[in-house]
Amino acid sequence: MTAPVVEAKASERVAAKPPAPRRRRGFAVHFAHYKWLYLLLLPGVLYFAVFRYGPMYGVSIAFKDYVPFLGVNGSPWVGVTNFTDFFANPDFPQLLGNTLILAFLNLGIAFPLTIILALLLNEVRLSVLKRTVQTLVYIPHFLSWTIVASLSFLLFALDIGPLFQFVNGLFGTNVDILSDPNWFRPLIVLQEIWKNTGWGTIIFLAALATVDQDQYEAAIIDGAGRFRRVWHITLPGIRSTIIVMLILAIGQMLNTGFEQIYLMTNALNRSVADVFDTYVYFVGITQGAYSYSTAVGLFKSLVGIVLIFGTNWLSKRFNQSGLF
Amino acid sequence: MIRRKHTLAAAVVVSAALALTACGGEAPASDLSSVKIMAPFLEAQPPTADGAVQKKLEELTGKDVNITWTPNASYEDKMNITLASSDIPHVLVVQGKTPGFVKNAEAGAFWDLTDKLKDYPNLKTTFPEVQQNASVNGKVYGVYRGRNPIRAAVMFRQDWLDKLGLKAPETTEDLYKVAKAFTEQDPDGNGQNDTYGITIPKWGGLGTNSPYDLVETWYGAGNRWAERDGKLVPSFETDEFLEANRFIKKMVDEKLINPDFATFDSTKWNEPFFNGKGGIIIDVDSRASVLINLFKQANPNDFQNKVGFVGSLKGPDGELHAHPTDGYSGFLAIPKSSVKTEADLKNVLTFLDKLNSKEAAVLINNGIEGVNFNVVDGLAATIKPETPEGKAVNTDIKSFAQLGTNVTGNNFYPVKQASEYEQKVFDDRVAVMAKDLKSAVYNPAAAFVSPTYVAKGAQLDNIVADARIKYLAGQTDEQGLKDAIKLWNTSGGDKVKEEINKLWQDNKK
Repeated sequence: MTAPVVEAKASERVAAKPPAPRRRRGFAVHFAHYKWLYLLLLPGVLYFAVFRYGPMYGVSIAFKDYVPFLGVNGSPWVGVTNFTDFFANPDFPQLLGNTLILAFLNLGIAFPLTIILALLLNEVRLSVLKRTVQTLVYIPHFLSWTIVASLSFLLFALDIGPLFQFVNGLFGTNVDILSDPNWFRPLIVLQEIWKNTGWGTIIFLAALATVDQDQYEAAIIDGAGRFRRVWHITLPGIRSTIIVMLILAIGQMLNTGFEQIYLMTNALNRSVADVFDTYVYFVGITQGAYSYSTAVGLFKSLVGIVLIFGTNWLSKRFNQSGLF
Repeated sequence: MIRRKHTLAAAVVVSAALALTACGGEAPASDLSSVKIMAPFLEAQPPTADGAVQKKLEELTGKDVNITWTPNASYEDKMNITLASSDIPHVLVVQGKTPGFVKNAEAGAFWDLTDKLKDYPNLKTTFPEVQQNASVNGKVYGVYRGRNPIRAAVMFRQDWLDKLGLKAPETTEDLYKVAKAFTEQDPDGNGQNDTYGITIPKWGGLGTNSPYDLVETWYGAGNRWAERDGKLVPSFETDEFLEANRFIKKMVDEKLINPDFATFDSTKWNEPFFNGKGGIIIDVDSRASVLINLFKQANPNDFQNKVGFVGSLKGPDGELHAHPTDGYSGFLAIPKSSVKTEADLKNVLTFLDKLNSKEAAVLINNGIEGVNFNVVDGLAATIKPETPEGKAVNTDIKSFAQLGTNVTGNNFYPVKQASEYEQKVFDDRVAVMAKDLKSAVYNPAAAFVSPTYVAKGAQLDNIVADARIKYLAGQTDEQGLKDAIKLWNTSGGDKVKEEINKLWQDNKK
């Protein structure tokens, strides 16, 4: 009933200014037409507005000297002091270095391993064996980091841990792996691989199931061996999945896993162990420097956004396919 | 029609968002018939609100008591978050002068009680120097929770000592000799070289009464701060600090200390002692009783000769520099946002006054007479066998004791120990601690809070604390340790020293 009226009014204006009103009319019609769909969208929008965007006003404390008693609004503004303090802090290069090194180690070692494991599982022809192995490699994912850390402490215990003896026997050394700074990063990456590689294969296995089986047959007839088939059929078949997962992984890259690192840190390896996440906890929560640590967290988020857009742009440039 | 619907929808969205994000609205008007308290608990389970102890406490104070028990391990985090929220208790147990607390206090979050406490007979302290220690530059923001000022002790395997024919250590040099003998002379007599002297757990922080801190104080490095040439300097800038750490390093190098001291889990501290691996623990004296209990549980017929202990040790200069604590463990503060008027404040202080009366002190420390304990010769004797009611009370008081302040001394009964031997050990502990109290080296800057230290003290101290562990572990040399101390100064420590000295000078006038 109302639609024609709107249309009539709009058409009057068309004569005066052609392009803009046409779009507005289009939007009104569009909105009226899909009103129920928009209503369905409402809870989702509300959720993000209230729980995701609403709390963001709290980010303003990064530019204030926040005192809980005075509240977010009552605390005095200090401009970018918190940021300049952080960048001028002698800890900054160390934190940035540690975070990036761990992030790239995880990305460079743990990420490809997931794909390799998925490919290996995909080649297993015996279904019982495949499913058993799959289930077994998923299990570590459900153990908390506290348990993983406790296991590490038992296995690498000085002088008596079985892995302590094995590793030191292998290299002919006698170092305390748990406190030696050189061993911290390998240990963290090992834990990450042990815990999450199996779980990460799920998506790749799903993608592998969609690869066209006829192509394999054709390739076999043409005399392609197993590696040729993987290289020319399987990998290109799951390329888009790999890229999406890579972009997501890079977005998460700087989240170096607070719990894991916090649990494995001690006075002797702190120089390589301190990352943004543990630093924010240590300075912000335990020392009550909320503003400063919010500034650090905000900086970390900015770097994360730059990374995710950067990878997306790169991937679009080279493959014409990105996440968005 | 549609347009109106949209407006309505938008209005609903906006109002819903507002309702959800608004900061909880006004706090309910305070009639203070019920008092809300936030306190830590150290047991596996917090007391329940309908327990006998809480009922009795409500009877004694004439108020509904509403306690939010918070796990001790995350108390500091939770306290900071609570202060930022709108649901703030009337009484808050603050565990120490942490940066978070000081910032809030200086912004006016807590009532200044400096001139108010003296009006309440049970809150007027008989230890003004401890109250001064607990203050923020002279301003008292809470009723401090009194603790024994002397707790430092060296505990050792008495049976090993006897077997090797050694005497209990009196000096740090004796400690070295005993540790060396425990390591090299097979004190457990199994023919194997499988023992070491001292067990030290992962415990690095400066000024946390760690074994390192104790040895430094015994060497004469002072207690956090020391007076040198008319100025206060941090303990780690004294020569004695370096000497003490050279001494500890010597013991590490000779393997007299557990090699995993940088990572050893402190909750397992008793295990090597009990299992006959490491024969010495340097910690608070109450651990002696814990250790005796372990041996008793394992073998009730033979536990009397396992644990020996002494207090602080004489340093290389032949003098006793006993290591005291600050004499308090946090305080009960009263937030202004929940207790708004002077009249309400009086109400809360009256409540705290009753909480510190003799009756309440006995209740929260000993329990309920006739239910879980009886008074025998001025001692509280636990009723055995334990009735279910008695058991509940015994469990609850372990948490309720956290509310005790004892600013007029301990008004409750000392606990009667289970056996004559344990009673003797307990009395010995009291005697040793009383003797050490005469030679206590107090922290001259305990009351002073420097703004720079509040802002980054913990990070600064970490520089030195980590360097100390690295030096002991051999990851860096003495120059590295000195460099770290220099870095402490250039990163802001210079300013901390300046501010502390100014406060110290002003206070002297």
